[in-house]
Amino acid sequence: MTEPLSPSQQMEELGRAALVLPGPGGGLHELMPEGGQVQVVSSGWRLAVREFASNRLAVFALVLLIAIIGFCFLGPVFYQSNQTYSNPLVSYLAPGGSHLLGTDENGFDEFGRLMLGGQSALEIGAFASLVAIVIGTLYGAISGLIGGFVDGLMMRLVDILLSIPFLLIVLVLATKYNGTVLDLSLVLGVFSWLVPARLVRGEVLTLRTRDFVQAAQTMGSSRMRLIFRHLIPNAMSVTIVNVTFLIADSILALALLGYLGFGLQFPHTSWGDMLGNAQNYVQNGQWWLVYPVGGILVVVVLCCNLIGDALRDAVDVRLRRR
Amino acid sequence: MLGYIIRRLGVAVIVMIGVAAITFAILHYLSPTPAYTVLGSKTTHAAILSWDKQHGYNRSELVQFLSYLGGVVHGNFGYSYKLNQTVSALFKENAGRSAYLSGAALVLSLVIAVPLGIAQAVKRNSPGDYAATALNFTLYSMPSFFLGLILIQFLALDWGIFPPGVSDTVTSTWQAIVHPQQLFLPIITLSLLNVASFSRYMRSSALDELAQDYIRLARAKGLSERVVLTRHLLRNACLPIITLVGLSIPYLVAGNLLIEVLFNYPGLGLLFYNALQLPDYNVMLAYTLLGALLTVLGNLIADVAVATADPRVRLD
Repeated sequence: MTEPLSPSQQMEELGRAALVLPGPGGGLHELMPEGGQVQVVSSGWRLAVREFASNRLAVFALVLLIAIIGFCFLGPVFYQSNQTYSNPLVSYLAPGGSHLLGTDENGFDEFGRLMLGGQSALEIGAFASLVAIVIGTLYGAISGLIGGFVDGLMMRLVDILLSIPFLLIVLVLATKYNGTVLDLSLVLGVFSWLVPARLVRGEVLTLRTRDFVQAAQTMGSSRMRLIFRHLIPNAMSVTIVNVTFLIADSILALALLGYLGFGLQFPHTSWGDMLGNAQNYVQNGQWWLVYPVGGILVVVVLCCNLIGDALRDAVDVRLRRR
Repeated sequence: MLGYIIRRLGVAVIVMIGVAAITFAILHYLSPTPAYTVLGSKTTHAAILSWDKQHGYNRSELVQFLSYLGGVVHGNFGYSYKLNQTVSALFKENAGRSAYLSGAALVLSLVIAVPLGIAQAVKRNSPGDYAATALNFTLYSMPSFFLGLILIQFLALDWGIFPPGVSDTVTSTWQAIVHPQQLFLPIITLSLLNVASFSRYMRSSALDELAQDYIRLARAKGLSERVVLTRHLLRNACLPIITLVGLSIPYLVAGNLLIEVLFNYPGLGLLFYNALQLPDYNVMLAYTLLGALLTVLGNLIADVAVATADPRVRLD
C-alpha cells in the first residue's frame, strides 16, 4: 500500500502484529485479550464499507442521491404548489416571481412538478429493481442449487428471454399496462431479473461446494433453509452491487417510456413524462421545461452508476480477504 | 470452425423459436384478434366470430403460432390491417434507411472511440483522460433522446449548423445518402452514445496491452511511439471491441427507435413506434423478432470474428 494508513487501519495492523509476539523464554507467545474484552476483528463487510468510504467520488454521489431523494419527498412540504388542477391562464410562464422554475403547458408549477415527477420516477426505479432482484435471486439460487438437467433448462429459458431486446418487449407490454406506478414497476421488473439470476446462479454454484453448505446439507437442512439461510445471504454482495445498476437502468427505461408516451396518467407524472413534449419546448425556447428535468434525471442515473462501480470495487476487496 | 458455426446456428434456430413463442404469446394475450381494428368498434359479435373464422383466428393458439412460424419461414410476417400492407413489404421499404443510419453511426463511433480510448490509455490520469472519462460516464447515464435534444438546441437552433429534424423529402434510402446534412444530427447523436461505452472498453483494453512485454520490446528496439501504437498496440487492443460491436448490434436497433422518433426519420424504429400507438400487433411482433434475431446473430458473429482475428482463441 502506498497510501498512508488511516488511524483505524493502523490499529488493525497493530492488532494483527500484536497477536503473536516473541515470548520471554524464547519461542512465540500469544497475547490473548483480557477477560471481557473482545478483539477487534474486521469482518468482510466492514472492510467493504471502509473501501467504499475511501472512494470520495462515490461518497459524494451517495450524498447527492440522498439529497435528491430528500428534495423529491420532503420538498413538497416546504414548497407547496398546485399540481392537481390545470390552469391554462398561467401556462408557459417563464421562471421568476412565485414560480421558481416557471410553469408548464397546464399551468403547473415546474419546480413542484420536478419533485412530484421525481417521487414516481424513484419509486418505480426502486420498486422495479426490487421485483427484479427478488425474482432473479430466487430463480438463480434454485437453479444453481438443483443443478443438472433442471438447471440447464432454467438457464436456457434465461438465454431465450435475454435475446429479446429489453426496451422493445417492455414497450409492447406498456401499450396495455401503463398509467400507474404499480403497472410500470411490474412491466420493468419482470424483464430485468435475468442478469441478477445469472449472477446469483454463478455465485451459488461456487458456494454449493463450500464446507459450511455441505455441513448444513449433511445435517439435514431442507432446500428452502439452505437457500434462505446459507446461499442467498452469502450471494448478497453480488445482488447489492447489481441493485444499484438495476435502479439506474429502470429509471432510464422509465424515462424512455415516458418520452414515448407510455408513462403515468395525467395528472400523475414522472420525469420521462414531463419530457414528452420536450422537442416543442426546445423549439419554442422554453428551456425551463427541458433542462432542469433532464439534468436531475441524468444526475440521479449517474449517481447510481458511480455508487454501483464503487460498491463493486468494495465488494471485491471483501472477497479477496475471504 | 465450420462445425462450430453449424452447431451455433442450430442453437440460434432453437432460441429464435423460443423467442417467437414467448413474444407471440404475449402479443396474443394483449390482442387475441385484430377483428375490432378491421370491422370497427360498432361491429356485432357475430360479425367478429365470422371474421375470426374466415381469417383463422378461431383456431387454437398453438395452431395459430405454428402457422405463423410456417409463414415466417416463407418470408410472410402477416398483414398490417392498420396500414393495409404486408409486414414484409413495410419492412423492406424501411429497413434500408434504418441500416444506413445504424451503419453510419457505428462506423463514426468506431472512428472516434478507438483513437480516443488509446489516447486516454497512453495519457492515463492526465486532465484530458479525466475529462474524457467524466464525459463518457455522463453520456452513458443519459437517455438517448435527451442527448438528441441538447444537440438540437445547440447545433441546430442556436448555431444553425444542421437542420433540427429530417425533412419529408428524405423518402428513400438513396435520398438519405445524397442528403447527408439531413442525417448529421441523428448520426452524431447515435454515435456519441456508442462512443461512451466503446471508448471505456477501448481504454481499459489498451491499458492492459500497454503493460505487456511486446510493447516494451517494441519501444526498446527504438520504434517511434506512432509505430508502437498503430502497428503493435492497435491490433491487439481492438480485439475486445470486436465482441463489443457484435453485442451492440441489437442496441443499435433499439437505440434507433428513440433517435428515429426524435428526428422523425422514417425507418423501422418509427414504424414500430407508430405501430405501438395504433396498436398494430403484427408489426410489433415482427420488429421484436428482428431485434432478437440481431441479438442472436450479433453474438454468433462476434464469437466467430474474434476467433478469426485472434488465433489464440479456439472455438469448440
